[in-house]
Amino acid sequence: MVARTPNRFNSKKGQLKIQQMAFMLIAIFLLFILAGMFFLSINLYNVRKTAVNLEEQNSMLLVSKLANSPEFSCGNSFGTSRLNCIDFDKLIVLEDKKEEYAELWGVAKIEIRKIFPRDDTICSYENYPDCGVIKIVDKKVNTLPASSNFVSLCRKEANERMIYDKCELALLMISSEDKT
Amino acid sequence: MSNKKKFKKGALEISFGWLFAIIAGGVILFLAIYFSSKLIQTGTETVSAETGKEIAVLLNPLETSFESVQTTSITIPSETRIHNGCDLVGTFGEQFIRLDQKSFNKWIQTDVNVKTNNKYIFSNEEIEGEKFYLFSKPFNFPFKVADLIYMTSSKDRYCFINAPTEIEEEIERLKQENLLIENCSDEDIEVCFNGNCEINVDYFERAVEKDGKRVYFEGDALMYAAIFSEKEVYECQLKRLMWRLREISNLYQDKEIIIAEKKCENNLRLDLNELSNLADNLENSGELIIVKMKAEDIEMKNNARRCVLW
Repeated sequence: MVARTPNRFNSKKGQLKIQQMAFMLIAIFLLFILAGMFFLSINLYNVRKTAVNLEEQNSMLLVSKLANSPEFSCGNSFGTSRLNCIDFDKLIVLEDKKEEYAELWGVAKIEIRKIFPRDDTICSYENYPDCGVIKIVDKKVNTLPASSNFVSLCRKEANERMIYDKCELALLMISSEDKT
Repeated sequence: MSNKKKFKKGALEISFGWLFAIIAGGVILFLAIYFSSKLIQTGTETVSAETGKEIAVLLNPLETSFESVQTTSITIPSETRIHNGCDLVGTFGEQFIRLDQKSFNKWIQTDVNVKTNNKYIFSNEEIEGEKFYLFSKPFNFPFKVADLIYMTSSKDRYCFINAPTEIEEEIERLKQENLLIENCSDEDIEVCFNGNCEINVDYFERAVEKDGKRVYFEGDALMYAAIFSEKEVYECQLKRLMWRLREISNLYQDKEIIIAEKKCENNLRLDLNELSNLADNLENSGELIIVKMKAEDIEMKNNARRCVLW
């Protein structure tokens, strides 16, 4: 009886040590996981920030060139070639084909707004050309602030005597999706 | 008895505590190494994806307006392999680029494709280097369809031999270090317009032969495309261009209806519809001549109009 007491005491002490070690290990493990999660969240934040910067850069560079792309540009339709000239007659057709062109430029919104004379009516086949806002791409998503560029919006007009070109001042606006 | 005692002392006595610590420590070390390597891999993939997207963004200024050619270069801090590919999906098809970067003298392969729908990059399926040259040319067929982008590595020098004067002049104007018309060395890739080299251009037959494969072109923009890209890339991008041509033809058909209400002519609809169908049904570059003939016919009719469509 006397000899057994230290053994029982020793095994209890041993069990306590194992429990202590197990708790310690779990604590270290949790610490590592927390540190890892903290590091990952910083990493993820940086990746998102880079993605936003790249999207903004994309829309900024695109807005300066989009008016000259084949779907928008005036070409030689209004006399000689013009820089930053958008063909309104082509644009209204493009508006009607919105779905087919939704993914072509990789942005969330493309909008052309007549600024002189100002008109806030949304354009459609029915009210064309008596309108001032035309949306070519309009995804229902959160967007980053728009990049814009001044353009001339030209179309063919006719009266009893002749066919003539009519150009007005407009603003081309492009927004990318905000993925944050 | 004394021998038994000695034997007992010599035995490896590992308590449960030690065993537990070794196993748990091992597991922790294994997990730490595993997650660290995963993290490094993810980091490399992120850098590759970012660089890929940056390249895609930097291609925007290559859109031409009045200029006949635009040129630029991209330098990447580490040795990079750019995979250029094309998918025939959706309305316009997809252009994708994928980057592998060298890290600790080992290529880290990634699966991240950066996709765009409005770019047409012509290069070999895989190009390698730190500096890449890019130039673009508008593709008119008969109206502007898109800007074609040609990408080459600074490691590959192309030597144009016996090129027509206008091509030589254009290459001189480009001032691209890896495109030469004289002082060529043995390591350069020879592009012969009259002879038998690595790349042979038959300017009159409008055909380019490269790696024993023949493709056809119409116009200088497509000729450069055929020179700088492998057949698979060229044929795929050509199809995408024809899809864009189909869509723009449809756009002009509807535009004609709108301007016809303003006393403009209405004589191109059927031709544009035919061009759209021909472009849509193009199977390979060998059939390009048929589309070209229709395009030329339409261009003549458009130029004769009072209200030109483009």
